[in-house]
Amino acid sequence: MRKTLLTATALIALAPPATAHFGMILPSTPMLEQEDGREVTLEVGFGHPFEPSGMELARPAVFGVHSAEGDTDLLDALEDADFHGAAGFTLTHPVTKPGVQVFYMEPQPYWEPAEDVFIVHYSKTYLPAFGDDTGWDAELGLETEIVPLTRPFGLWAGNAFQGIVKRDGAAVPNAEIEVEHYNEGGVATAPSELMVTQTVRADADGVFTYAAPAPGWWGFAALSTADEQMDHEGETKDVEIGAVIWVHFEPWETTQ
Amino acid sequence: MTHGLRWLIAGVLALGAPLPATAHGLVVFATVEDDEVLVDAKFANGQAVLDGEVRVLDAAGQEVRRFAITPDAPIRFPLGEAVDGLQIEVTSGDHENYWILTPADIAAGGEGAELTQ
Repeated sequence: MRKTLLTATALIALAPPATAHFGMILPSTPMLEQEDGREVTLEVGFGHPFEPSGMELARPAVFGVHSAEGDTDLLDALEDADFHGAAGFTLTHPVTKPGVQVFYMEPQPYWEPAEDVFIVHYSKTYLPAFGDDTGWDAELGLETEIVPLTRPFGLWAGNAFQGIVKRDGAAVPNAEIEVEHYNEGGVATAPSELMVTQTVRADADGVFTYAAPAPGWWGFAALSTADEQMDHEGETKDVEIGAVIWVHFEPWETTQ
Repeated sequence: MTHGLRWLIAGVLALGAPLPATAHGLVVFATVEDDEVLVDAKFANGQAVLDGEVRVLDAAGQEVRRFAITPDAPIRFPLGEAVDGLQIEVTSGDHENYWILTPADIAAGGEGAELTQ
């Protein structure tokens, strides 16, 4: 009996933490300055940010950038790349003017057998260029998205980030939002699986608030089920749609 | 970073030309069009800068031009012979910021084209 219990405990300890799925668009810098040059490189992937580990990301259905000049299709500029052991993409994009660039992606549906659903995460990241934050609150009109109420960059670790969850342009009351840190290099540890993916609920107006405890990239995903189902091997299955936004928090630094 | 931009920044820093320490909410952008430099300077709220001063440094960090901003008039000046790059600093009250025109920017704009990478 004791041996069985110990074996079970060991298996649980060895099992990967049950982290959430996130579409991910990660710029090489969270705020582009003139000293960084006139281009930014993006890592594009799908996976578990805290582990971190990748899951296969097929070439997205949509990938583009929104700015004051309008929308630009960047799908053909995506290059195949490894993303934490799985297929992902990379992209180097020229930025020639001050202002906010919003990179966004609609992936192809991902079949997740463990959850018996398809997953489609509409993901986006806001990148300010050359000190100009004009456009930080842009709403892109995605099927579902988190529209920032707090400027989604230039935040100190510990600051609160606030957003409103929307679907088809309308606020989603009481939406549930999963929050996860991109544990680059795997340096952070969590004493409990419950600590890996944080959960907050929006209020009746779809507004939620979360204060990140540490610097780095933090992903916010508001999940819901699409009205339409999809076919998988002759059976209709639900489609989980996610509104994902990535926000970078900066370390508070002093000279002493 | 393009070779030209890296070279320009390194050159300016090496010669001790002062880069503004803080932006103070001022955004500066410049393009070259038909051998003229057009400067767009605005505050973080989008309000155009109506009063202040423009200081232009060459790639060696030497001041080559300084002039006052005139209300309701576009900020512009002749490109001249500056093919190696320019740093355009704008000061308004205690707000200041700058934009770097790289050799590539100048080459593209000098031919009458839109600023390109």
